[in-house]
Amino acid sequence: MDALDLARTQFAVTGSLHFLFVLLTLGLAPLVAIMHTRWTRSGAPEHERTVRFWGQVYVTNYAVGIVTGLVMEFQFGLSWSGLSRYAGDVFGAPLAMETLVAFFLESTFLGLWIFGWGRLPKWLHLACIWAVTLTAYASAWFIMAANSFLQNPAGAVERGGRMELVDAAALFTNKTLVFSFPHVISAGLFTAGMVLVGASAYRLRRGGEDAAFFTRSMRTGIVTAAVGITLTVGYGYAQFGGIQEGKFKGDTAATPLALMMDFGNLMFLVAVFLMLPLVRFLPRWRWTHRLLMILTPVPFVLAVCGWLARELGRQPWMVWKKLTVADAMSPGLTPGMITVSLVGFTAVLGLLALTDYALIARLIRRGPRDLDLGAAAEERPAPALSY
Amino acid sequence: MELIWYAVFTLLLSGYFALEGFDLGVGLLMPVIGRTQETRDRMVAAMAPFVLANEVWLVAVAGALFGVYPHLEGEALFGLYPLVVAMLLSWVVRDAGLWFRRRIDGPGWRRFWDAMITAGSLGLSFGWGVALYAATTGFGSSLLHPFGLLLGVVVTLLFAWHGWTFLGWRAPETAGITRTGRALALSALAAALPALAVLGGSLPYLLDHSAPASTLGVMGVMALPFAPVMVLAQVWVWRFFRPGRSAVRTPSFF
Repeated sequence: MDALDLARTQFAVTGSLHFLFVLLTLGLAPLVAIMHTRWTRSGAPEHERTVRFWGQVYVTNYAVGIVTGLVMEFQFGLSWSGLSRYAGDVFGAPLAMETLVAFFLESTFLGLWIFGWGRLPKWLHLACIWAVTLTAYASAWFIMAANSFLQNPAGAVERGGRMELVDAAALFTNKTLVFSFPHVISAGLFTAGMVLVGASAYRLRRGGEDAAFFTRSMRTGIVTAAVGITLTVGYGYAQFGGIQEGKFKGDTAATPLALMMDFGNLMFLVAVFLMLPLVRFLPRWRWTHRLLMILTPVPFVLAVCGWLARELGRQPWMVWKKLTVADAMSPGLTPGMITVSLVGFTAVLGLLALTDYALIARLIRRGPRDLDLGAAAEERPAPALSY
Repeated sequence: MELIWYAVFTLLLSGYFALEGFDLGVGLLMPVIGRTQETRDRMVAAMAPFVLANEVWLVAVAGALFGVYPHLEGEALFGLYPLVVAMLLSWVVRDAGLWFRRRIDGPGWRRFWDAMITAGSLGLSFGWGVALYAATTGFGSSLLHPFGLLLGVVVTLLFAWHGWTFLGWRAPETAGITRTGRALALSALAAALPALAVLGGSLPYLLDHSAPASTLGVMGVMALPFAPVMVLAQVWVWRFFRPGRSAVRTPSFF
């Protein structure tokens, strides 16, 4: 492979890894916020257990979302400096806003939510997780705005060999943004719903304690998944109104697109016409649980297919009909340089991702007890006490 | 407008050095003063509530670099390619250590991730020194230039000292010293000094290479309403997790 192929592979690998974790974060954040709201209003220990358990799944997943995101942000400068040279004056604005405003606040409030547990006044503590949710959505919106500019460079003109921002409103109301953003957000909800369903199915199938806990979680998951997939499919089709001409002509982009649409439609039928009507019975029908567990990874695969379709469909353009990917690559980038970083990033991030999924699986296997999130001092045996 | 964004950029980068500097310092000191697992747990717990609010300053720096100095962004990151990759991996490993160290009970597991925190902190601290020197030479010098390596050592020592001061302020029993908030402010200033010096020296260059006024204007309009919230959230973290609130003793999540 030459440097260009390697650089594209690196972006695809790190980007896909990042998206797997971000997708679940986007879906779980509002669910955890709603669970937390219920707990704050009722004060019931059952509700507290729900927030702490799914909250810990959420933050465990969040960890790898952060670290893969760091690598994404810096890769633009490492491998694609041609993009910032040509279109940085426009493309940089939404990216800067994402980090400066949205992620800055998200990270700060997440720290307050995790470490302020049991110490912040309860309504302020609740406000923190809603702030985290809101800023996570804002992050997604800015990132999608930046990506949409690459798909359809609206609001900018080329002057002296560089793109210049002339209409900020057009940049943020891009026709490839308005439906793709809710599409991604809804896909996150669908994913989180299916994770709740799959995890609960595993626990209920095994039997034992916590049946009531996971019965409730499964019902929440089913309703969330049904709403999520309905919106995902709806906003998915709506996107075809604003698509670039000839985007899906080649097989490379058409294949993941077809995969996503066919299985997405199938999941829509399953979630809305089977799971939702049976929401009262599925927790008790143990014979369905294996099937429900098998469905858990499907949303992740479909979401990655969606990204591949969107990004491969843009080839060979970095900025549609303006700048090719080859021209956007950092001049002087050698295959040797990119091989070293590709191996390093893939190995480290891949291992961390596997470790993280193993930790989440372990958490689900152990169930809602001995949780670290929101633990009070007396709960842990022989804890290392600290502030 | 260029001057305002220069000030913002300077604030963000020196803020990162002043704040994340002590987190990295604590990571550096873990094998030095954290000989027992319990001490290391206390050291991590002391910095834990601040880390997420601190490291995000660098994420903001990178974003601002892209928005305000798009040309410099490509030049700087690409010019330092192997260093940036090494620093990113260090950062990733450090963060993973923090998030993972307590997820499984077991001395081996936690010792391993503690070692990762130290290794990551070392890579980042030393890397910053090398990167700052390279910036003063317009990214033209070798990454192994003796001055760069020397600055790497200086920044590492500064961060370690800053981390020690922080521990003396928030968890004196681990540091073996007691430090006031004023001493912490002083060490923060010292930790930010290398970044401030380099940015001060590149003022004319940066003003000359800013994004066009239209882009800066749009970003200003969009960011300004949130600036008070950002300041408030950061102040809130510091007010809420200051020492003296330590009456409530809970196991730390990190």
